[in-house]
Amino acid sequence: MLLSSVIIVLREVLEAALLISILIALSKKTSLSAHWLIWSCLLGLSGAIVYGMNINNVSDWFDGVGQEVTNAFIQLLIYCMLVLYILILSRFLVHKNTFHFLTRLIMIIIVALAITREGTEIVLYFFSVTHSKTHLTAVVGMTIGASIGVSVGFLFYYLLNSLKLEQSIFIGLILLLLVSAGMVSQASLLLIQADWLPAQLPLWNSSAFISEKSVTGQLLYVLLGYESTPTALQVSLYVLAIIVPIGLMQVLNKVYPKKINLASL
Amino acid sequence: MNYFINHVCHFFRFQIIIFITVFVLLIPVQVYAGTPIIHIEIRNHLFIPSEIIIPKETKVKLIIHNKDETDEEFESYELNREKVIVGQRKGVIFIGPLPSGVYPFFGEFFPKTAQGKVIVK
Repeated sequence: MLLSSVIIVLREVLEAALLISILIALSKKTSLSAHWLIWSCLLGLSGAIVYGMNINNVSDWFDGVGQEVTNAFIQLLIYCMLVLYILILSRFLVHKNTFHFLTRLIMIIIVALAITREGTEIVLYFFSVTHSKTHLTAVVGMTIGASIGVSVGFLFYYLLNSLKLEQSIFIGLILLLLVSAGMVSQASLLLIQADWLPAQLPLWNSSAFISEKSVTGQLLYVLLGYESTPTALQVSLYVLAIIVPIGLMQVLNKVYPKKINLASL
Repeated sequence: MNYFINHVCHFFRFQIIIFITVFVLLIPVQVYAGTPIIHIEIRNHLFIPSEIIIPKETKVKLIIHNKDETDEEFESYELNREKVIVGQRKGVIFIGPLPSGVYPFFGEFFPKTAQGKVIVK
């Protein structure tokens, strides 16, 4: 009970913590105050509780695949917001120009959605185990899992923050690109599970090489959206998800080579 | 405007190639008529039956009925599936097509007892 509760909470917290720590580090580097974080945490927690309480109804939507469709929608929304954020960040790299209001709004949406998505499972798990006799053990396990996840997030934050401005933004951009492509890959998997996207035989099986169950596999899953048996559709969407923001960055830089003031938006 | 469109086409040539690749890769997808349905029950944090046999390279619809009061999360790394099955409710999960083999699954909320496997042959 202890170990399983540590693992379940750690997996969820790690996913959100990684994304949040990158965003906090980048917002510090681009000299934005961190007030947005409080709003997004509050919004995200209420989102997770509301979603968790209404999981009954959500599950019944679309002939019993409401959960998959809702989660995929959340992941795709996070992806779109991340692409916007990546574009703003790439402009910062060129012009040192931050668009405070827009950037904060985007970060609030990203973090609130990420916490809602990952927090819901923790809320449901918490409600499920508090029914059983060993719930104290489970709560201890959940606390340990959450602490480890948050610690890894802090570690990431300090690593990114210790770098020079340009380096940290460059590495942050690459990490965000990978995390955002992982979001698309997860969303496509959910839509395949719901039979909204066509199912195919796996393209390869790398589970003998890196198992998804292993620590490496889990970390790669969080960081890159690693799957050991992806289908051709998933791989194509993953590649597409990385190429689209890079293409948009190039278009922006070519069409608006000079400094633009998006703050008026 | 023309200048802009030219630029867009120029810079999106990779994206256009990828789009075409996606569609080409989608072509071999077979159309499965009449997806087989398999029912699984969750009772006292156990999957009943705990072993199911499905044909290879076939998409199957699993309907999981959770007879417990508590929620359970159907999870399988091998099947790439994860879904919360609310207590006293049922949930639908599509799996496959898969090559033959053994694919374990478990209930993430109560993994000590909730264990099962899909045998594809």
